[in-house]
Parts: sequence; C-alpha cells; structure tokens
Amino acid sequence: MDKLIQDLKVQIIAQLNLQDVKPEDIGDDQPLFVEGLGLDSIDALELIVLLQQQYKIKLSNAEDGPKVFRSVRTIAEYIREHQPQNT
Amino acid sequence: MKLYIRATGNISPQKTFGHPGLLAEIVEHSGNRLYCVEPDYKAFIDVKQIRRMSRIIKMGVAAAMECLQEAGVEVPDAIVTGTAYGCLEDTGIFLSKMVEQQEELLAPTAFIQSTHNTVGAQIALMLHCNGYNNVFVHRGFSFESALLDAMLLLKEGEAANVLVGGLDETTDTSHAILSRFGLYKKEPVSNLNLLAQSTKGTIAGEGAAFFLLASQPTANDFAVLEALTTFYKPANIQETEQHIASFLSGQSIVSSEIDLLITGRNGDMEEDKVYSKLEQSVFDKVPTVNYKPLCGEYPTSSAFALWLASNIIQSGSLPPSLEHTGNVPGKIKRILIYNHFQNTHHSLLLISAC
Repeated sequence: MDKLIQDLKVQIIAQLNLQDVKPEDIGDDQPLFVEGLGLDSIDALELIVLLQQQYKIKLSNAEDGPKVFRSVRTIAEYIREHQPQNT
Repeated sequence: MKLYIRATGNISPQKTFGHPGLLAEIVEHSGNRLYCVEPDYKAFIDVKQIRRMSRIIKMGVAAAMECLQEAGVEVPDAIVTGTAYGCLEDTGIFLSKMVEQQEELLAPTAFIQSTHNTVGAQIALMLHCNGYNNVFVHRGFSFESALLDAMLLLKEGEAANVLVGGLDETTDTSHAILSRFGLYKKEPVSNLNLLAQSTKGTIAGEGAAFFLLASQPTANDFAVLEALTTFYKPANIQETEQHIASFLSGQSIVSSEIDLLITGRNGDMEEDKVYSKLEQSVFDKVPTVNYKPLCGEYPTSSAFALWLASNIIQSGSLPPSLEHTGNVPGKIKRILIYNHFQNTHHSLLLISAC
C-alpha cells in the first residue's frame, strides 16, 4: 500500500501539473479538494482519466467520486479493491 | 470622437514587459524563429492557476495585467482579443493525445484550454469581469477586427474603457508546418540584418500586446487612436495606393503630414516589393521604421506595431537603437502603421499625440 500511495502522489503531481509540490508535501490523508491541495472539478476529471490510464479502473458510480478522491489513501484503497487480478 | 490609448502591456521577442525603457537594447535572435522574452509569471499569476496555462495563455494574461495595472483599472468594461492561431500548444497536445490514445481516455485540460477564446476568458475569470467578452479569429485581420470592435463599443457608448489585445504563439509543430509551406528563410539569418537579405521567406515571430482604450482622456494617456481600416487582396499596387490615399483623405491629411511610417516589411523578397513600391509613391519622403525585425512575422503582429507607435508617441522621439530611414522630426506627433500579412490582409492604423 505504501508503494502505491507513493506512486499515486508522483502521478497526481504529473497529471495535474502541480507547481512547486513534491510527493512528500502531500499527506496520505490530506484532503485533495477545496482545502488541502485545493483541487477542483477539472482536476476530478483528470484523476478519473489517471485511474483509467494507469490502473485500468473505471469509476463505476460518479456519486462515489467525493469519497474515492478524498485523499491519496482513499484513492489507493479504491484501486486495491477494484484493480483486476492480473495487473 | 477621439479614442485614447491609456496603457499598454507587451510580451514580445524584445525586452518590452515591465516597460524597462523603450527598446533600450535590441535583442538579437539567430535562426528563423524569434522567441518571446518572458517574465517569471509567478509574480503575476497565482501558482494554482498557472499550472493549467500554456505559454500563450500566460503571455496574454501577464500582458493584460500589466496593461490594467498601468491604467489603474481593476476591471475593464469589456475585453476583446484577436488571435489567428489561438492556443496552439494545447491544440497540439490535445490532437496528439487523440492519435496516441486512439481517441480514448483524453485528459480534459488541454482540450478546455485549446480554444481561441481561452485567453480572453481567463482574464475575465481572474478579474471577475462579467462584461462584454469577445475574440476575433480572422487570420491577418484578427487584431484589427478586435480593435475595430473595441472602437465601436467606445463610440457607441457601450463601454467607457475596453481591454483589447492581439496575441499569437509559434510552437515547434506550427513552425515545422509553416516552414514546409515556405514561409520562413532557409539560410542562417539574424533578425538584426533580416531586411538586408534579398531572399524568399521571413522569420517566425510571436507576442501578446494589450491596450486599454478609453473614450475619455486622462493626463497619462499614451496616444490617440485616430482611425483604422483594412483591405483584402488588392489586385495591384495601384489599388493599394488608392486605399491608402482614401484613408488619409478621410482623416483630412496628406502623407507629408505623417511624422513617421511604421511598416511591416519582413525580409521576404516578394512580400516586401509592396513596401518598396509605396516608398517610391505615396510614402515618398516619409521617415520609416520597420518593426518585424523586432518581433518577427505572425498574423497579429500589428499589435506589436501599435505598441511601438504608442510608446514612440508618448516619448515623442525614436529610441536611438531603432533604425530608420528619412528625416524624423524632433517631436513625433503622428504615426501611420501600414502592414500586410502575406500580401492578402492589409491594414492601416493612424495614431497621434494627445
């Protein structure tokens, strides 16, 4: 799980082109939206694309978004639960 | 009715941003592509917003902010931009991803930011400006169309001040494609001796220049924008001469009353023939400056020319670094800008002292 969280932080920084932010600046449980990193709805779309591209996971229910994308840890947990066995 | 140029902001291949002194030194560029001298944008734009902005968006937003700051205007009544190419970098990213990813899983940011109205919209979002906002995409007339719209808004009383800008960028992809069309010189070239070479092609340029136009004067205005006209694909030089004569007579002046002519001579042996012929006829004995060695060729380069004219009028004289022909009067009070883009889009702008 720790490695996945670390990988996610690197991928989020790259996908969202976060300026002057390093992986160690993002707390595992830090809120990603509004407070914390201050992400917005366009970033949510970018994160959905990231999940599909990197982990072949499609967010099946859009209403799950706020819960899944609450922090890096919740994204990692969602990936663990939904990642196909062979990837 | 007079329209006043209250402030300017310009990011160009010269050191123009921040008004460091009008062309105190001319920046030399080698090769057939001029790159803008860009500031550290983090000083002007929030880092949270900057991460989504491509280069042309940052250039446009920063030039607009400088202009508004100088004018002392927080929110203009209207924002009008002109761009021929729009946000090319984001367009390139979006299209490349479409091909690479077989039209699936496309990230939204590049697509959202790729439209031609992105810069005008981004400025409005940052300023919370809910007023009139328009963009003109009209190849070599893009900036002129934006300027005309701004002039109409002011003359019809729809706005008391308008932020108007012209901007275009060159990207690696667009430069490669336009090079294949034969637009740019193939031999090694410097912008400083561009006009000495009698060969085909010119040099690629780019830039973002903004102006705050107002219907009422203040003590700090740069210049008065007297008139603007455009004409498309003149059949021959006589028709061009007629358009120029008609424009000048419409302003009740003759060419000998122009203190300085700023032309769009760009070093292309074919395209420059127009300027050479006019300098022997309607512009005979008019002191002349050529602006494209400074900024390169691009469809909205006349915005750079307007910036140059406004700043020369404000200072009253030519900067020593700027080459010119003819005898320039001690105090420059009236400037005519004549530019053509690929000998299809021709425009005339008349600027005078306040």
